Amino acid sequence: MMPSLNGALLDTHAPGHNAGTSITRDGFKITTRKLPILKAGPIEDMNKKLGIAPPEMIFGDNLARVEHTATGWRIEFNAFDALDRVDKTGDSMLKVSYSKEWQQNRQKQFEDIKEVIKPFDWSYSTDYKGSTPNHPAFQPTDTPIPLALLKLPDPILFFDDVMLYEDELADNGIAMLSCKIRVMPARLLLLSRFFMRLDDVVFRIRDTRVFVEFATGEVIREYTAREEKYEVVRKVLAGTKEDVLAIMRDPNRLAEYIPVVDKSLENVVLK
Amino acid sequence: MSIGGSDLDKAITQLRACRPIPENQVRELCYKARELLIEEGNVVGVDAPVTICGDIHGQFHDLMELFRVGGDVPETNYLFMGDFVDRGFYSLESFLLLLCLKVRYPDRITLIRGNHESRQITTVYGFYDECLRKYGSANVWRYCCEVFDYLALGALVTGAATSLSPTDGPLAENINIENFPEADADIEIETLNANGEIMYRCARNSDSQSSVTSQPNSNPASSSPIAPTPSRVGAAGTGATSSANGSTRNDTGAILCVHGGLSPLIDTIDKIRLLDRKQEVPHEGAMCDLLWSDPDEIDGWGLSPRGAGFLFGADIVKCFNHKNDLSLIARAHQLVMEGFKEMFDSTIVTVWSAPNYCYRCGNVAAILELGEDGSNAGYVRRSNGDQGGGGGGWILGSNVGVGGVGIGNGGPTGGGNGNSVGGLNRRLSSVLGESGRTREGPGRRYRVFEAAPQDSRGMPAKKPVADYFL
Repeated sequence: MMPSLNGALLDTHAPGHNAGTSITRDGFKITTRKLPILKAGPIEDMNKKLGIAPPEMIFGDNLARVEHTATGWRIEFNAFDALDRVDKTGDSMLKVSYSKEWQQNRQKQFEDIKEVIKPFDWSYSTDYKGSTPNHPAFQPTDTPIPLALLKLPDPILFFDDVMLYEDELADNGIAMLSCKIRVMPARLLLLSRFFMRLDDVVFRIRDTRVFVEFATGEVIREYTAREEKYEVVRKVLAGTKEDVLAIMRDPNRLAEYIPVVDKSLENVVLK
Repeated sequence: MSIGGSDLDKAITQLRACRPIPENQVRELCYKARELLIEEGNVVGVDAPVTICGDIHGQFHDLMELFRVGGDVPETNYLFMGDFVDRGFYSLESFLLLLCLKVRYPDRITLIRGNHESRQITTVYGFYDECLRKYGSANVWRYCCEVFDYLALGALVTGAATSLSPTDGPLAENINIENFPEADADIEIETLNANGEIMYRCARNSDSQSSVTSQPNSNPASSSPIAPTPSRVGAAGTGATSSANGSTRNDTGAILCVHGGLSPLIDTIDKIRLLDRKQEVPHEGAMCDLLWSDPDEIDGWGLSPRGAGFLFGADIVKCFNHKNDLSLIARAHQLVMEGFKEMFDSTIVTVWSAPNYCYRCGNVAAILELGEDGSNAGYVRRSNGDQGGGGGGWILGSNVGVGGVGIGNGGPTGGGNGNSVGGLNRRLSSVLGESGRTREGPGRRYRVFEAAPQDSRGMPAKKPVADYFL
């Protein structure tokens, strides 16, 4: 499902926003929409529907979508569906680095304050791979995304970078989910990335790549999850001459220091 | 060189142009600022009128927009509730300008500490890197951090007016005037856009209208004109959608301003005064809580799911306000899309002053203006209505309609209103669970503004640059 527009004026003054741009290429329609973060009312609605508080910066109207017009098949990335896959029970809840110290001291003073309010995975970690219809479904495959083709200097006909959500984890790091897409004459690549750094605790990078070869109608989806303890990464980086803090903000550069913990490869051919 | 008098004015001019001042001037400025701030208590006393601002986060051009919308220093008094630095690209210029203004006009500008005014946080979120980049060394960052340690933890605003003196600004487009209170009503909340156009207006206790008219012996025809009941859908950000439309208190108390919120260790403002604040923001304790905690729709106190930090509910705020004779807590710390958000029957408000936060959120910002007690010509301190002579009581604020603006002595209202006063007071008492005096919220004028135009910040409009990502 897709969250509704939040009632923001479409000709909003905020820069870089658009109410929907698209390009059609060989029967594939690619659309992105970028609007401001949701207002209080839609946030409350989302809170109710999701059962958890949305991230601080919630771009609930944003989306990136690839549609096969002949079959109606589509894959779409939006914040609501991504957040719907966040653990809502608190079972996989992380704690900030100084939590133990904080709680030990506070529990002595305030034994009556025990209730953890609305526990859930507040790091907003999601294994979202995009929203797709059930048919035709993705099937496991061994054929990887052809990187060589993507390294060709083909002209980029359409490019966008769409933020879906972001949270500063109350100044304990960062969690963000965003979507990049580039469309070349014969193919496209979409990268949806969840990046999370909980300071002094953990790094997570979860990438979903969607590759479409227009001529064959083949869609390949690759999911790669990386995770490593903060301290481990910090130690490795400290041994380099790099600017450690700068790298820790940059998932592109961090990826090489963080091992893969989960991976899947699927495809579907649209005729 | 010293940074007094004309040098200071020069520095202000340079910073207003978003150009950093030399390192030796920063050192001098920070020294002066510390001398000044050390004299301030943990809770600074501030007289209304004052304009209260939330997070700035290094968005220098938007700070300039804030001054354009709210009025320049020293013509307008300002109270900034911290988080001057980090996130934005111009933390240095923003903080140094505010600090210059503080040194130049110490009584016109108040700065209190946010959780980002800390060594630890600024090393992670941008200010440290910015200083390093702009000066080639961390000296300036160090000077600034020393100033952070001296910033007050809170401010107490006194002498705020209970109702706003009306603006004669034009109405914003698409505003439904039907929902406006009558021109002579006692204005409690007003929202203006950046052009000074009125977007929303709410009379005090306008919810009482329904109660008044429902009194069997009230006679609408003979009593004073009744302000139209405002739309159930209040302005964005105000608590006016709740059944208690606007605030339901009488007699304005003080307004406490803190960056984050309350602490279970702090039940009186005097306890804030006793803290030793001249240190890095600790990871726990009362000082930490004041800068970090958040209000939430809960009962009592709760623990944040993050494993550190407190959340506090409406009952905590109402008790604290009652005990400390406060009418309102103003705080910042949390991004709110409408720029401000009143909670818990308008006993606490979040003010956020960084529009289009991080240059991509598309949110609007707000500042909160509190008027000066007595600036409203007809203002008379109101009692609970048990002094019959005034014919009054706080309910009259919203439905006196005779003889112009702000008649405080009640005027010839129908006898039925007296009954309704009693009824409302009982209702109010039951809300608070006691019969003690309660405090009427100050008149609140919110000015809402958007980010400064792109071309004014000397940055290319943010269009994603196509790259061959893999």
